Amino acid sequence: MITEEDVQHYIERIPPSPAILKQTLSFVNEGELTKAASEAEGDMALQAYLKKLVNRPIYGFRTEVSDIHQIFGILGINGAQQVLYNYMLSLLSPSKWELFHLDAVSFQDLQAHLSRKWHKILTHLSIDNKDIESAITLLPASIIICEALFKSKQDEVNLLRTTSSLDYNTILKRLSGKDLFEICETIALTWEMPPVVINIIHSASGLHPDEDPAIDSLGQWMHLLLFYELSNSTSIEAGLNDFIDFQVEYVADIYEPFMALMEIE
Amino acid sequence: MRATVSKRIGIFHPQGFIDGNNAPTFLTLDDLHATENLNVDMVLISLKKVIFFNRNGLDIFVKALTGLRSKMHIVVGFCDYDSKKYQAILKFYGNNLNFSLFRTQKIAELFASSNKEGKKTVLLYHEDPSQRSAMAIELFDYGHNAIVAQSQSEFNEKKQNKDAFDVIVDETYLGMIGQKVATRVTGNAIIYTVSNFLDAEITDNFNISYHNNSLNVGFRLFIFDAYKVISMNIHALNFFARLSASAAEYNATICFVGLTFEKTPESFKNDLEDAGIMFFEQMDDILKDKELLAELGASSAAAIKSKRSLNKVIVNELPRFIDATVNTIEMMTNAKATKEAASVQPLTLANKENQVASSIGFYGDLDGMVILVFPQAIAKKTCEILIGEEAEDDEAILDAMAEFVNIIGGRVKALLSEYKISVDITLPRTYQSVDDLFEVVQDKRGVQVDLKFDEDKFIFFLTR
Repeated sequence: MITEEDVQHYIERIPPSPAILKQTLSFVNEGELTKAASEAEGDMALQAYLKKLVNRPIYGFRTEVSDIHQIFGILGINGAQQVLYNYMLSLLSPSKWELFHLDAVSFQDLQAHLSRKWHKILTHLSIDNKDIESAITLLPASIIICEALFKSKQDEVNLLRTTSSLDYNTILKRLSGKDLFEICETIALTWEMPPVVINIIHSASGLHPDEDPAIDSLGQWMHLLLFYELSNSTSIEAGLNDFIDFQVEYVADIYEPFMALMEIE
Repeated sequence: MRATVSKRIGIFHPQGFIDGNNAPTFLTLDDLHATENLNVDMVLISLKKVIFFNRNGLDIFVKALTGLRSKMHIVVGFCDYDSKKYQAILKFYGNNLNFSLFRTQKIAELFASSNKEGKKTVLLYHEDPSQRSAMAIELFDYGHNAIVAQSQSEFNEKKQNKDAFDVIVDETYLGMIGQKVATRVTGNAIIYTVSNFLDAEITDNFNISYHNNSLNVGFRLFIFDAYKVISMNIHALNFFARLSASAAEYNATICFVGLTFEKTPESFKNDLEDAGIMFFEQMDDILKDKELLAELGASSAAAIKSKRSLNKVIVNELPRFIDATVNTIEMMTNAKATKEAASVQPLTLANKENQVASSIGFYGDLDGMVILVFPQAIAKKTCEILIGEEAEDDEAILDAMAEFVNIIGGRVKALLSEYKISVDITLPRTYQSVDDLFEVVQDKRGVQVDLKFDEDKFIFFLTR
């Protein structure tokens, strides 16, 4: 169904990050938000993405924010880096989703919800680190990869799933030896994302606990956050609820504080 | 979300958080409609991957499940939970628990009416004596040996000796149970358990499709375990007489064990005997008498109803059957297949060593049976995707083979439905040795396709 060669072929086709985006990120990392905004103005698609994103209800602005410099100012260094990575990810997403019932808007909504809630978690954990803040942006890459690899294999997967509750990630691992999160890590390396992003994502799969307790704890929070998001009606309707296997035991330690933080009763 | 089906149990596998808002999205009307069309004895919702649920969410699930139960007359409930979730459900529903709870899927399988597993020794405990008794009776009906602990301390003590029991049943609750006649397979005999007063309802409660198909796939001895039958009326008598007459076409035998005639007219016995039904006092009178078993046809499946040949519809569909099967095997093994030969003939194997076989029947607008014969190497490979590792023991391989042929059966069903041909599929059957398979197919003719996967040969045989 999917071979090691198919996975390798997919990895080889991951494009490098565009030059303007790379430079914008570089300015953000240096704390030069004005320069970053000016650089971003050179990419119309990036501008449009940023405007659409920050004007989503989840960001809570009463009036429309349209000036790119203003957007960078509002986002701050941490937020700007996160949003730029989200944009980078959206470049990988398909123009037409076939496996999952998603579109550009619903995918960006998912990115935005994950980012805002991740920010809430990091605030709760008193963590102020732009790289850790950006780690969440790589998580939806697993959905994009899954779509790309499995969209032409829906019938086979559905057939397999008539008797066995196998998730896409498990099927992929058993067939090709690589799982979705390992491919996410390859993307992060190609795009020169900070190592901490890779480590957290690795841990957030729920399958590879990190030796560093701090990273592992972030992986637990991220894994539970993902399943919190995948349990909402939109995600279930999109077919995302069971695309990877939820590792309930892995998140047992942080279940109570997560419930309190998200105000779930 | 669609239910997965294994061993005639349909299971939904939601993940994450369940509440009143998202529960209807997990089980939509479409999902429920698709479930109604499944041929299952039980529909459950697994809570294994659920970290949070509230009463509103469960209420929606329970409403959906009880709706299915009233339409399908099956057991419904939840499975795969820990103590905390079990206690939460008991707290939510208290005395109004009208669905079943099975701590694990393995426990649920013990209570599925078409149980094909062998006899299991089961340690059982529930704090409510009436639940203990109900479960013990059900387990007994399904052919298991239930050891009931009368107190928590006795249970704790007994369960220390884990090797003594195949399954330990606790934190389990039997809600309203399905009304189907319990069915189990022992060797080449099928045992149906009937109880109380037998009347016209037997027609609804007895799974005639399953019975007919069992005849088709080669079962020749059917035993009604009737120890708990109080009496029967003329409608039940007519039903059994008809059943026996149709079985006779296949040279199959129907027996009653443990039936007394204190409250049933003695003349009924004569009528049933005239219809060809035999009576025995004890189950062991049959099952432990090898000569009798052979005489009754349970040691082989030699006699087949009038010889059947492939019909035009099946032959026309053949390339699609084969393609569906080959695609599925390619998917499961990640290997390419080549077709070597295809012809209409009795099943012929050049090599009987290190082969495993499985079969699945389909019946309805069209009857037939797909038989697959694999080298063990391919069988092991298909296990890898289903269970994640290469299986070494025969039981795991045969289990995976059963799942595999089940997938093929599902595909055949879907394929035929595109042509408005409605069929149902049977439980898959596996054969540890090819000789067992030949007892069933005998000299039946069918379409044999020889396939090759790398260096491994594989046989697809389609017959009626």
